[in-house]
Amino acid sequence: MASITDIRAGLATRLGTIPGLRTTTETPDTISPPIAIVNVSNVNYDRTFQRGLDEYNFVVTVIVGRVGERSAQRLLDSYVSSTGASSVKLAIELDRTLGGKCDSLRVTDMRNYGSLVIGEITYLAAEFNVVVFAQ
Amino acid sequence: MAKYVVTATVVKIGTTNVSNSCASATLELTAADVDVTDFGGAGWTEVIGGLKSGTVTLDFHNDYGVGGINTILNPLLGTIATVTLVPNGTVVSATNPIWTAPVLINSVSPVAGAVGDLATFSVSFPTSGEVTFATAGTV
Repeated sequence: MASITDIRAGLATRLGTIPGLRTTTETPDTISPPIAIVNVSNVNYDRTFQRGLDEYNFVVTVIVGRVGERSAQRLLDSYVSSTGASSVKLAIELDRTLGGKCDSLRVTDMRNYGSLVIGEITYLAAEFNVVVFAQ
Repeated sequence: MAKYVVTATVVKIGTTNVSNSCASATLELTAADVDVTDFGGAGWTEVIGGLKSGTVTLDFHNDYGVGGINTILNPLLGTIATVTLVPNGTVVSATNPIWTAPVLINSVSPVAGAVGDLATFSVSFPTSGEVTFATAGTV
């Protein structure tokens, strides 16, 4: 029986295997890119009887740098790629149980590739949706 | 008894509780309609109840692990197994009765699912013999 905190930490651990990418499970006060922030967006309870399975939907926001930086887009492209050492999808799905914290997971899609304003700074970022099935 | 939302149905196959792998359960019981229409029917057909039968339909989340639903169900193919259903939790009572149905495991789906979906499968078994109903007992 894993908690949201455990699953979030498991996702952050997987993201931490990407070289150079910082990870956090809590929204930081200040951004130091490149960084991946793991948040839960919604939970669908009771996918089976007797509390046998819940569906957790997480959003991983990857922020790579100021939107005007030349290298930022290339870096974000590498995170969005479905292959390679920097692939967010590949890094997460290499351990689909997060070390036993969940039954299964899948990085379903990437969205909102573009600018993200935090404070007075506009960053380049993308969001990855991760569906996690756990008891 | 009040109306209720389905979350806690108990499903057992034989002695194994498979509720945690089951997302939907339906027990449907029917009686054949036997025609007894005669000239006294005033132009209407008349029927009486004939033989009773039933069907148990279950939707599962697939699991090949030790003790998983696949390892429980697949070896039973072609055999009679007992399915036990309790609608709303493990405490059997007049408002939460227990149904016991011998069924023929006449189909299994060891592989099912589309890309990106949670692995699920549905099965439907005909009952074989009397389906019993009780308002007391243990799951």
